[in-house]
Amino acid sequence: MTDDTSQSGIGVSRRRFISAAGGAGAVALAGCTEEETGDGDGSGAETDTGSNGGGSGLSGEINIAGSSTVFPLMSAVAEEFEREHDDVSIDISSTGSGGGFENHFCPGNTDFNNASRPIKPEEEDHCAENGVEYIELVAATDALTVVINNDNDFATEMTVEELAQIWEADAAETWNDVRDEWPDEPIDRYGADETSGTYDYFVENVQGEDRGHTDDYQATEQDNTIVQGVQGNEYAIGYFGFAYYYQNPDTVTAVAIDNGNGPVEPNLETAASGEYSPLSRQIYTYPSISSLAEEHIAEFARYFVDQTDNEQLVAEEVGYVPATQDVKQEQEDKLEDAISQAQ
Amino acid sequence: MSIERSEPTFGRVSRLKGTVFEYLSLGASVTGIVALGVLLIYVAIDAFDLVNASPEWLLTYYVTLVLPLIGFCLYSANDRSLIRRTAFALGGGLVAMALTFSVVESFVRPIPRLTWQVAYLFVVVAPVTAYVVFVGSREPIGRTGFGLVGRVLGGTALGLSLIILFTVFDERLWFLAYTLGVLPAVGVLAYSRVNPSSPVSLLPVPVALVGFVAASVLRGPVDVYPTAWLIYVWTLVVPVSAIIAGLTAQRDGETKQTAAIAGVAAFALIGGGSLAAGSLGVSSEHALLVLLGSGVPTVMFGRRVVASDTGRVGLFLPVLLVGGALAGALIAESFGFPAPDPWLDASFVTSSPSRMPERAGLYPAIVGSVLVIAFVALLSFVLGVGSAVFLEEYTVESGVVGATTRLIQINIANLAAVPSVVYGLLGLGLFANLLGLGFGSVVTAALTLSLLILPITVISAQEAIRSVPDHLRQGSYAMGATRWQTTKNVVLPEALPGIFTGTILALGRAIGETAPLIMIGAAHTVFSPPNGIWSKISAMPMQIFVWSDFPQAEFRYGVLAAGVVTLLIVLLGMNATAIILRNKYESGV
Repeated sequence: MTDDTSQSGIGVSRRRFISAAGGAGAVALAGCTEEETGDGDGSGAETDTGSNGGGSGLSGEINIAGSSTVFPLMSAVAEEFEREHDDVSIDISSTGSGGGFENHFCPGNTDFNNASRPIKPEEEDHCAENGVEYIELVAATDALTVVINNDNDFATEMTVEELAQIWEADAAETWNDVRDEWPDEPIDRYGADETSGTYDYFVENVQGEDRGHTDDYQATEQDNTIVQGVQGNEYAIGYFGFAYYYQNPDTVTAVAIDNGNGPVEPNLETAASGEYSPLSRQIYTYPSISSLAEEHIAEFARYFVDQTDNEQLVAEEVGYVPATQDVKQEQEDKLEDAISQAQ
Repeated sequence: MSIERSEPTFGRVSRLKGTVFEYLSLGASVTGIVALGVLLIYVAIDAFDLVNASPEWLLTYYVTLVLPLIGFCLYSANDRSLIRRTAFALGGGLVAMALTFSVVESFVRPIPRLTWQVAYLFVVVAPVTAYVVFVGSREPIGRTGFGLVGRVLGGTALGLSLIILFTVFDERLWFLAYTLGVLPAVGVLAYSRVNPSSPVSLLPVPVALVGFVAASVLRGPVDVYPTAWLIYVWTLVVPVSAIIAGLTAQRDGETKQTAAIAGVAAFALIGGGSLAAGSLGVSSEHALLVLLGSGVPTVMFGRRVVASDTGRVGLFLPVLLVGGALAGALIAESFGFPAPDPWLDASFVTSSPSRMPERAGLYPAIVGSVLVIAFVALLSFVLGVGSAVFLEEYTVESGVVGATTRLIQINIANLAAVPSVVYGLLGLGLFANLLGLGFGSVVTAALTLSLLILPITVISAQEAIRSVPDHLRQGSYAMGATRWQTTKNVVLPEALPGIFTGTILALGRAIGETAPLIMIGAAHTVFSPPNGIWSKISAMPMQIFVWSDFPQAEFRYGVLAAGVVTLLIVLLGMNATAIILRNKYESGV
């Protein structure tokens, strides 16, 4: 087709272009014969041997959704895992435990669901309807922390019953309604969203299901919002996972909870020993069994369980209580069973 | 001036109300700008850690970098009164700011995380510099200087986006698609240009499509490929060199030899430069793409300036800036001035998110956002221009078609007011669930965001098309042109600047959207960039949202601010591209 080029101005460029392109094409083809797939630079194939995960050559996607409480722990583990296996691509969404089960995990769109409470019966049904099977893995222990303003010096210790009066459906209006010596000021409440596992856990273990949860509060998935609200009002109260308080102990005051054995402050030791009750709780992640059939997901699940007793990562960097050896062993056995069942 | 003094004469009206109203409306118009300005100043202070910048450090860079730049602009503007005013503003601003701060600090209370030096930088130096750059760049010397700097920066950005493109997409597939699809199609197009009457002129698009299909089929079985470097040379450098040669011959009226030399020189510059960079330890593929992006426009521009007579001095501006930055670094280093440790640095934009603030980065989210926006730009441009052309050019006023058009028109206007969450739901239901395009995948996100901004692009494109004077159309018809020819040759070229402006402003909205992305299941955090259009992504606003809830204070102040500034820079880069494109078309038509 080059023969047909005319004498016009455009023709010059076109002929140049085509002849130059043809020449360079020959060069490129000549180069081609020397190159094989394995050593092409920058290719995807090359990284198979490049990853330092013992030459395992894992690759693929891992989709994770669920609790915002477990989110920091899961991201920390995912970050470490990706450092070792750079062809595995992990994404994590913070949707709340319930939101994760309903919209992502049970419809079969995610491989893991994080939860700050055990799965509920209706969620089990939903998963069963879609044929999604799963196992429950304990990720860590959290101390659900009730916080008040730093200027609040009267309510630093509370019984579980008083806490229930503040948060039940028919909630106390003023502090004075809860205990006589407390001031006659309205209570300003900041708490977890209804889709949050923290909400469910709080209702179940503080006031009980039948007493419900008040509507008269600011509901949010963002711990930061709760802290800012509590910081802004001397008569405010809020609750959230321990990690946020652990990293910012000076911004708000944690309430010591009295469950009949004297007031206990939330910290890693009291949560680990179970002394901080009823608010110390286990947090979970639920891998789907069909996903565990894939090697990279199974390997990530093993890695996750392996990290649950890592003091540096779980306690110091994220702010949860690491698993004990027994718990970890139990999870490992459960996981290996599920993996062998899946594969 | 007031009524009290009214005399029994005729026509004295109090102007008090009018004056008060004037200043009130002035206040109303600056409220938003001032509030946003204060916010941006604080975000920038956090992102660049200016709290820890010592006055000596600031002064060093002020003297070595900012003052020479201002001097260059003043030299270019060559206006005595401007020089006087600039000096007065810089000097007076310095005194005023220092005084205000000491008064406020001694009588009211110290201003948190803001020293008077930093405030002087933002409140006085930045606007003054912006103004003199604006004035200076309108004169030949300044135009040359800033044109050169702009081409270097813009070209580098282009090269970097090419690098991102090839990390996401398979360059071997591109190699096949180019060789089997693009090249034959261009050949057919060239042939049909020469013989307009031949039936071949209908073929370029089918040829390209067949080539693309063949490429995607062959990608699996074929497993011998050139290196990435050779692929880039073959698919990018060769055509660019050919185009340069063609342009040299055609536009500058040079001989064939000169044109060939220009093409070969461009080829040698990029190829050789990248190989040289490769031997220095830089990735030669990346060097090639950056050189391709920045080198070609820079050299072309430089050649044009040297050939013309005016403003050659301006070519020294990059030297002045680089020299100033180096001198500042040298002085600050040798005197040991405490320098800030910015959160927003090279490692921030090249590394993955992390639980540790000093390691945290935005790279996967930047790639995700840019990729999605690129697709959104493509889709919304095609859909927006298509429907605007139909609504403005092809419909009739009366009858069933007219009624339908009016209905569509009203609905488009209403769609613009639908909240973004609703579009998110639509994306979730339609694209993710029904069509199975993936939860939070690039495709789903791009389609959802395109729908979100579609009303805005359609309406602005309609406005642009409507503003094309009717006598141009009539003139075209009078020459015997068909409606298609009129639209293609007259209306669209005239309307293009307006369409670009509207589309880009809409894209600016799309890149900051979070709610629809949450709805379609985009991830809050991903640790590696997407490797295709089906993989799950995160976007900059999503990652920023996550950081706002991290327990460590460093995330909520430093890292978060760095993320916001990055998002703003990408946004401003997009807007700048739009303005350049628009100006090009406005002057070209």
